[in-house]
Amino acid sequence: MFLRSLAKYGSFFCKSQYSIERNFIRHVQVSQRKFNDKSEKAIVRKDSFDSVSDKNRQTYLDTIKMFINQDHIYRRGHVEFIYSALKNMEEFGVSKDLEVYKALIDILPKGKFLPQNMIQAEFMHYPKQQQCIIDLLEQMEENGVMPDIEMEPQLLNIFGKRGYPLRRYWRMMYWMPKFKNLSPWPVPDPFPTDTFDLAKYAIERITSVDVNSVVTVYQSSDIPESIDDTWIVSAQSKTQQTLLSEHELDKPIYVEGPFTVWIRGNPINYFVLRGEPKPLIEGDSDPDDVSKLRPSLFGLRPPVTKFLKVIPSVHEQEDAVIFSVCATGTSSKDSLLSWIRHLEKDGYPNLGKIPVVFKLRSGTKEVINPDEGKDPKDQLDDK
Amino acid sequence: MLNLQRSLTCLICRRRSVHTSPVLTTFWEKDDKGGYRDWKKMPPLKDQLREGLKDLKTEIGVWAQEMKERFEGDPILIFRPGEVDVQWRFGTTESLNKWMATSDADNNEGFSTCSLTLTKEGKGLFSGTLDKRIPKDGKVKRSGYCSMKSLRVRKSFKRDSHLDWTPYNMLVMRVRGDGRSYLLNIHAKGYHDLTWNDMYHFVLFTRGGPYWQVARIPFSKFYFGSKGRIQDRQVSVPLDRIASFGITAGERWGGDFHLEIDYIGVEFDPNHREEFAYEMYKTESGIAST
Repeated sequence: MFLRSLAKYGSFFCKSQYSIERNFIRHVQVSQRKFNDKSEKAIVRKDSFDSVSDKNRQTYLDTIKMFINQDHIYRRGHVEFIYSALKNMEEFGVSKDLEVYKALIDILPKGKFLPQNMIQAEFMHYPKQQQCIIDLLEQMEENGVMPDIEMEPQLLNIFGKRGYPLRRYWRMMYWMPKFKNLSPWPVPDPFPTDTFDLAKYAIERITSVDVNSVVTVYQSSDIPESIDDTWIVSAQSKTQQTLLSEHELDKPIYVEGPFTVWIRGNPINYFVLRGEPKPLIEGDSDPDDVSKLRPSLFGLRPPVTKFLKVIPSVHEQEDAVIFSVCATGTSSKDSLLSWIRHLEKDGYPNLGKIPVVFKLRSGTKEVINPDEGKDPKDQLDDK
Repeated sequence: MLNLQRSLTCLICRRRSVHTSPVLTTFWEKDDKGGYRDWKKMPPLKDQLREGLKDLKTEIGVWAQEMKERFEGDPILIFRPGEVDVQWRFGTTESLNKWMATSDADNNEGFSTCSLTLTKEGKGLFSGTLDKRIPKDGKVKRSGYCSMKSLRVRKSFKRDSHLDWTPYNMLVMRVRGDGRSYLLNIHAKGYHDLTWNDMYHFVLFTRGGPYWQVARIPFSKFYFGSKGRIQDRQVSVPLDRIASFGITAGERWGGDFHLEIDYIGVEFDPNHREEFAYEMYKTESGIAST
């Protein structure tokens, strides 16, 4: 009760009762002044990254440097600054830059947050600061940035050897190298930004099922009747060429698509040139059937059955025989027609005689970012 | 120590009407669904009783079969190398009944949708849309996952049981993906609440394209996680305690996904000698697993 009235009439008490201890009075005074004075915003600091006009790596690092140089002795607001820096990484294009993360960790003072006794060490000394760096490391992990050996002494000097950020660092250094090269189809590094390079990589990846596949790049403008002028990445192997030349002329072949293959979040449309699946030839002898065994008599060996069968290649899938796979720049029907013409020119004069059916899905799907497609408000209202 | 302290403070703060800090239930699990079980969605008790009595006949049949098998005592003793024992084959609508597909939208934690259906060639198709948008409820930090999970293995009268994959050392899947990578989850739920969230994970990389691929993943490669976090003290999959199996699509990039599955099986490969792929280092006490 006394405290409440003190807070309310703090300034009055300060003026009238000088006998109360000085520190205590000052404390009450300060808090009241802060609540009354709305113009002076001492706590809420403006996001220093918003005001930067030219957003690149250098200005990002400059902003960090400015923050450090603001106050050498009583630097404050580290946590808020680091959180706002983490939020603005994408805009500055530094979300995959290890040096930037290290510069952010470097903001925290060395030695100040070290636990001084056992209890402090056990109960997460300076939890806000530790959690902030844990969140930073988590963001690193999400962006696929692996820490390096220099980060360990950095974290050690800030939080000590029992700090939680250091433990997280150790975990990252244990697991991330293990998972880094796990994929059997590693994406090229640096990651291609051009659609053509991506499409070429996608087709190479699809046809990695057959090592003899050859990826060819055609230009649709080489065909005189073509309307589009775009590239066509086509792939075919020796086996597929044989299969196509063996194809009966009266049976149709199909151009199907577009199907999607995802390369690191980038959807690439591809088309398939396929024929009807080959009928499954059931072997007339069941190897597990023992009812018709002919026992060998007088050392005569049982006759070896002459049952020869060509081992089906990987292209003879159960739902289709795949002759070729392609991706084009426009994914239009015209470019696919040019693709067939190119294949015809490339050594299948018979392809002109085979009926080619285009089974394209209604309209080529636009590559859109699903996150922008719908208004999040509508979705929330639906719920 | 820290955990104990947290849970103790929790017990104290639960009595208060107003929480000044978020409640931390660190190791005591109230519910095997991790708080996602909604009793309101259950049918009324009368209907439940009626349905239960309907199941009684089939359950007695299952029990009789179990008893018969027990007296026959004819277990498989030889597991020939290179032979895949199919655990789940897709192709019929009954085969889909052994699975359930869930997404974050089911728990109001996101906007992804997914389904498990059959293709016209008669294979299983796990497809949907990953949506990375975060609902603005202030609690969810990140979202965008879809998951298919096999139903819990059961004995007669709906008693929980486990699959025993001890004779095998490979997981074999015939799939046709879309270039995305998926997470395989082996759920090894035990009796105690500490083991309710035990999961063993590994990544399934798909090539993409019109060709089927057979993925053979040794069980030794699976790493131990709990509630989606890799654990510090790693152990290999307890192959005699498999409760269910699942596939999760949760890539960082949103958009459609498409995974066709022919079968999921297990295999014994005598050439694979590795017991556990992840080496462990001795740490100071209190550093790891805290």
